[in-house]
Amino acid sequence: MLFSLRKTSPLMGACLATVLALATGSAQARTLDTAHGEVEVDGQPSRVVTLYEGALDAALAAGVTPLAAVATRGGQGVAGYLSDRVPDIAMVGTSRELNLEAIAAQNPDLILASPYLSDEQYALVSQLAPTVVPESEGFTPNGWKNEARLYGEALGHAEEVEEAIEAVETRAADLAERLDSQGTTTSLVRWMPQGPLVMSTELFSTGLLEATGFDVTDADLVKEGRPHSDPLSLENLGEVDTDLLFMATLNEDGREALDAARQSPAFSRLEVAKRDQVIPVDGQLWTSASGPLAAQAVLDDIETALSSDER
Amino acid sequence: MIASAERRRLAGQGLTLAGLLLLACLASLLWGAGDVGAERALAVLAGHGDEEARFVVGTLRGSRTLVGLAVGMALGVAGALLQAVSRNPLAEPGLLGVSAGAAFAVAIALLLGTSAATLRVGVAQLGALLGCLCVLGVARFRGLGNDPVRLVLAGAAFTGLLSALTTLLLLFDQRAADEIRFWVVGSLSGRRLEDLLAVLPSLAVAAAITLVIARPLAALALGERLAAGLGHHPGRVRLLVILVVALLVGGATAIAGPIAFVGLVVPFAARALAGPDIRRSLWLCLLLGPLMVIIADVISRRLVAPSELPLGVLTALCGAPVLIAVVRRRRLPML
Repeated sequence: MLFSLRKTSPLMGACLATVLALATGSAQARTLDTAHGEVEVDGQPSRVVTLYEGALDAALAAGVTPLAAVATRGGQGVAGYLSDRVPDIAMVGTSRELNLEAIAAQNPDLILASPYLSDEQYALVSQLAPTVVPESEGFTPNGWKNEARLYGEALGHAEEVEEAIEAVETRAADLAERLDSQGTTTSLVRWMPQGPLVMSTELFSTGLLEATGFDVTDADLVKEGRPHSDPLSLENLGEVDTDLLFMATLNEDGREALDAARQSPAFSRLEVAKRDQVIPVDGQLWTSASGPLAAQAVLDDIETALSSDER
Repeated sequence: MIASAERRRLAGQGLTLAGLLLLACLASLLWGAGDVGAERALAVLAGHGDEEARFVVGTLRGSRTLVGLAVGMALGVAGALLQAVSRNPLAEPGLLGVSAGAAFAVAIALLLGTSAATLRVGVAQLGALLGCLCVLGVARFRGLGNDPVRLVLAGAAFTGLLSALTTLLLLFDQRAADEIRFWVVGSLSGRRLEDLLAVLPSLAVAAAITLVIARPLAALALGERLAAGLGHHPGRVRLLVILVVALLVGGATAIAGPIAFVGLVVPFAARALAGPDIRRSLWLCLLLGPLMVIIADVISRRLVAPSELPLGVLTALCGAPVLIAVVRRRRLPML
């Protein structure tokens, strides 16, 4: 225990400390290290509002059903992979445009917000309830874990979140062994008629691809700290001609988006397209969501993709 | 004697521009954002060359050069016609509500579930025509006969309204917003020859009408009464011109998205070279339009390789300073 404490980040250490504290039965008041300084939380909050998809995901993984959340990118409600779990959840705007009155109307006792919440918005939101904002780590494939741990700790369910994260890590390692994905090159792109956006290798979903053994590439097209590249010229489409190509779509029907891409002669002459190794995936999940449940859903997609076609 | 010297000068200009355009097309085939450089591209043009280069030059660069030619011609001619008929050297085809109408139609189509990739050009062209008809309706046919300014003002107001509605639609649907933000800047990349073929009929109709109305339009420049005295019908001519402009800009917008400033700057340059007679400047616009579009497109590919800059951004960046310089330098000519 001591050994692992020394090796991991201070945040993780704090989490473990909380877990230990829980075990000894004195879990009541705790102080969280957030991007806006220390925040005091007491007990297990029950009226929770999440202003970030990753926070909603972590809360559900912790066994807490928030009262309200923000809409997913490009949608009216929460992301498709979560909609069955929270059929009646209230909407309080989008992550870019929060509806403060709707948040206040929920009378929350805890607000879980995105690391990208602006200072101005924090000043407003934090008047309604203790607001937990994780320190922004920029785009890192594993940043979601520390975020989820902080949310779990705030909810008083650090243990459940930790277990959920471990489950993801175990399953990814297991898939890496089972799927024979070692050395398989892959990219995640979003198709545009004038050329695809190549997604960064530092994202949540590309990080999971990496964790399952893939050799993920962005062909050096994504600038530091950006989620994706500029639209790649069709002349350079060969850069993403990997063994397996994941194509994120914002439509519900990924098949349709793939057909659209096939209309482009530059796309259909790619080796990966000829071999039919282009996998359409849900863009809400793959390019917008994060958290332990999203990770399981992404791993589901990877598993289905690799076991459905005998490669 | 003077007339023949004038004609020779014009022919010289035309030949020079045609030569430049040919060079621009060649450049468009030779350089792109990819690995296929001038050497490999030349090998393809000479009849050999590797498979990759043949695809890039023949399919990708070839079709975008053809699309650039069509779009440039359409926008240049549309600009010249609109400026002549509104007698306003600052009139831009976008002012007729054409671009805004097309963007609005595309936004609705995206909301209804099509994706930008499968979007038929017909949607944009229909929107362009409807937008233009609405502007005509707002300005009312009666007003057209005697007050072109009214038309331009109505167009500007209507464009504002349509843009606001488009923005409103996109606020409701971020997926559409994501897709359309690449459409509204305009680009020649990824456009297929089928798209071009789909709008060719309307461009051909527009060209035919233009040939008929060029002479009455030139007479109109002499003044309403004089034109009527020469046996033309000013009101009818204006209406036809508007229709032609809608067809041309609608077609161009449908393939390439809205491309700013070409319709404004090209007629300016043509008049500077050929004088105010629309019958002469139109021919030059036919060459200058594609020249500007294709050169801008080649630059847009090279500036941020391996990505590409949207063409609409580049034409706006080049066009705006030219416009400001012209406006500041001298009193605007009356048309």
